Amino acid sequence: MNFFSKFNQFYMHNPRLERERHLLVPIVLIIILFTVIIFRAPHLFSSDGIGGAIIVISPLILAALALTPIALVGRGGIDLSVGPLIGFINVSLVAWLVGNGYTSPFLVVSYVLGAGILYQVIVAAIIIYIRVSPIIVTLSGYLVLTGVNLTIMDRPSGFSPEWMYEWGYGAEILSPIFFILSGMIIIWFLFSRTVFYQQILLTGADERMAFASGVNTVAARFGAHIMGGIFAGMAALTYTALISSGDPTQGNTYTLAAITAMILGGTSPAGGIGGGLGSVLGSINMYMISYVLSSFNFGNVSGFVTQASTGVILALSLLINSLMNKKVEKL
Amino acid sequence: MINRGSQIKSINTSNEIQVENISKKFGETVALNNCSIKIKQGEVHAIVGENGSGKSTLAKILSGVVIPDKGKLSIFGETPRNPMHARKIGVEMIFQEVLVAENLSVVDNIFAGSDGLFFRSRSRNNAKKRSQEMLRHFTGIDINPDTLVKNLSLSVKQWIVISRSLITSPRMLILDESSASLDLDATNRLHSEIRKLRNEGCSILVVTHRIAELIRIADHATILRDGSVVGDLSGNEVTSKNIMQLISSKSNKTEKFRIKKSTTLSNSNKETVLLAENILVSKDSNSFNFKLKAGEIIGVTGLEGQGQANFINTIAGIKPPLSGDIFAGLSNKKNKIKNFSDADKFGVAYVSGDRANEGIFPNLSIFENFSLALYRILFNQFGWIKMKPLKNSFNLEKKNLSIVMGRSSNRITSLSGGNQQKILIGRVLATKPKIIVLNDPSRGVDAGTKRELYSQFKNFVSAGGSIIYLSSEIEEFFDFADRVIVFRAGCPFANITSENISEDVVLTAMFGNLDPSNIANKEN
Repeated sequence: MNFFSKFNQFYMHNPRLERERHLLVPIVLIIILFTVIIFRAPHLFSSDGIGGAIIVISPLILAALALTPIALVGRGGIDLSVGPLIGFINVSLVAWLVGNGYTSPFLVVSYVLGAGILYQVIVAAIIIYIRVSPIIVTLSGYLVLTGVNLTIMDRPSGFSPEWMYEWGYGAEILSPIFFILSGMIIIWFLFSRTVFYQQILLTGADERMAFASGVNTVAARFGAHIMGGIFAGMAALTYTALISSGDPTQGNTYTLAAITAMILGGTSPAGGIGGGLGSVLGSINMYMISYVLSSFNFGNVSGFVTQASTGVILALSLLINSLMNKKVEKL
Repeated sequence: MINRGSQIKSINTSNEIQVENISKKFGETVALNNCSIKIKQGEVHAIVGENGSGKSTLAKILSGVVIPDKGKLSIFGETPRNPMHARKIGVEMIFQEVLVAENLSVVDNIFAGSDGLFFRSRSRNNAKKRSQEMLRHFTGIDINPDTLVKNLSLSVKQWIVISRSLITSPRMLILDESSASLDLDATNRLHSEIRKLRNEGCSILVVTHRIAELIRIADHATILRDGSVVGDLSGNEVTSKNIMQLISSKSNKTEKFRIKKSTTLSNSNKETVLLAENILVSKDSNSFNFKLKAGEIIGVTGLEGQGQANFINTIAGIKPPLSGDIFAGLSNKKNKIKNFSDADKFGVAYVSGDRANEGIFPNLSIFENFSLALYRILFNQFGWIKMKPLKNSFNLEKKNLSIVMGRSSNRITSLSGGNQQKILIGRVLATKPKIIVLNDPSRGVDAGTKRELYSQFKNFVSAGGSIIYLSSEIEEFFDFADRVIVFRAGCPFANITSENISEDVVLTAMFGNLDPSNIANKEN
């Protein structure tokens, strides 16, 4: 009990850490899953185990990070279209650029970032100037892009740029994908230290208050979406490396997975609460949950079991979070 | 929205604030009509008027939150386009609501809007130090600047909002009912801060309902009625009598119809409608008994946080007492009130003064807001709503309370604060309660509306109902309450009967002294 009271004193009553309280559940979950994996499936901790995990997990982490600033800036901003956007950048890259012989790395990276940013700027403009709720705008985006993706490519085909072929093997830890992922996480870290990020938090935490006290809420909302676009673009790049081809439908699965990862990491779509580290941890947790479950033999239904378990864990983590907040408020 | 402000031309002048023929409509409602005001440098200028007279709109126009439809506006030669621009010009506004982001820290809240988009106005450590200093100066408490605002009390939140507007040393400060959540002592501290700023040359605009407070600090007062300026007082003319005369054309009319209730009416032979036995409402305090009789109006007051709010919540069944029991009706002790639905069942109704959080449903219409609580109990026939009687009931309360509104299907937020409050009170009256519990019902309600409400309450009481109400303004108890219970340290401290109610007596009791002459000495 002594440990708990010390922990309580340090973590729950330290004002500096109070804003990070949402990280407690994902951290505890990651420790539990880690322990289980050590016993059930230690192969994950070998060089190619980790290497493979990084390749698979990168698009998810980046997609969850793409959602995070949009959620932080408030108005219930869950970007439902992130999956089809990743799919769109993937198929258009494979069909339009690589298909026509444009494969220079500089051009490819510029394209993925440019497409992500452009799309998010349009979405932000609709949300800000036409005043439609974000979830409706991004739902429309989801439907539009899903259709567009299938007109560009009616079934999985094509190739990723040649220099990317080996990225998807995942035989070693320090693969190019590893560096891209680390680089993007560092960018997030730096971004979260900026005054601009502060303006996003203020806008998300209470838009009326932010507007009335002179925060440029329009710029903050645009900025959050642009950050989202950058991360969505990089998510599409790592996704293209993962599948080494174009796929018009698989990208869509990232919408729900990334939303789950973000919420599991403690970011609230109501705005102002949460952060990027939570989304990274949430994504890792999701991967580890499915990894642990795959070590049991559920036969044909394993996919369903994974989904159901993830759902239960998500609900439980939200429950624990809200109980924790209640308890602290009472003290 | 994109062409905001295109019609407003700025006039280039010195250190003055000039409002010339400003008009603003919200839909069909005219908020301001050809309104002109001049505010000089280094003066405290008060704007007074009934609810819906356009005071708040004027304040919001000056701070760039609302853009006028017509007219010229010049603040130190510029016209604010939005709050961001207004702050750049040097205009700071403290809003009626306590605008804080609950999930962010104290320092983030105080410095909201003072940083640029990409660069800080000062270092983070410096900002933290400054936040702590300011709050220590205002509240006397050392508050860690990293504390999340949701963990702080309402009065501290109000000081955070005030600090936000003072960190930039404003050239013009607008206070819109800013002392609403402050107690008397804190209000005095705010006043001394206002005087200090005025002496430094800042122009201060005070929008308030508290006339007593206004007289103490204002150099100049402009009276608004229905969006137009009806009077301008300065210096010695700023008296409560002059203001009251100008404020409301209705006031004389209402005065005539006022129901003079005999304050000497003996309640001793009336039946007890509510009985509280040995209840404890605040930790580390004493338990006490309380009796409410039919036809009685009891006022409850006290300095901030002395247990009076807990008591009101306990009586209304919102919060159970820490110990002891509450019974409705006669002393046979059958009808114990344990929670809100018990209270409801035994005819105890509750109206909060905190309309925005505890009263209205902003997205629903006026009619829906009125009828929400009534469908189930009064106008229900096999699960279908009986629309016609419901409408009749709505029209009756609308007439009784003289509620001014457009169509009843308009959103409730299209009404002024006072009319919103009337709807909520009408909703409660329509349930035909035995006891009405009111928590600061006149918060943000003007004098005219207040009188109308009080005369309705008196009707209610003469029909055998009872009222218990909390207020932080002592003048609310005059000619209305049969007795006033003053809370101190979590339990009743004094019980003042109607013939003894006066500002002096209540104030001295609030400060823990039963002899009025003592307090008078202290003030000298």
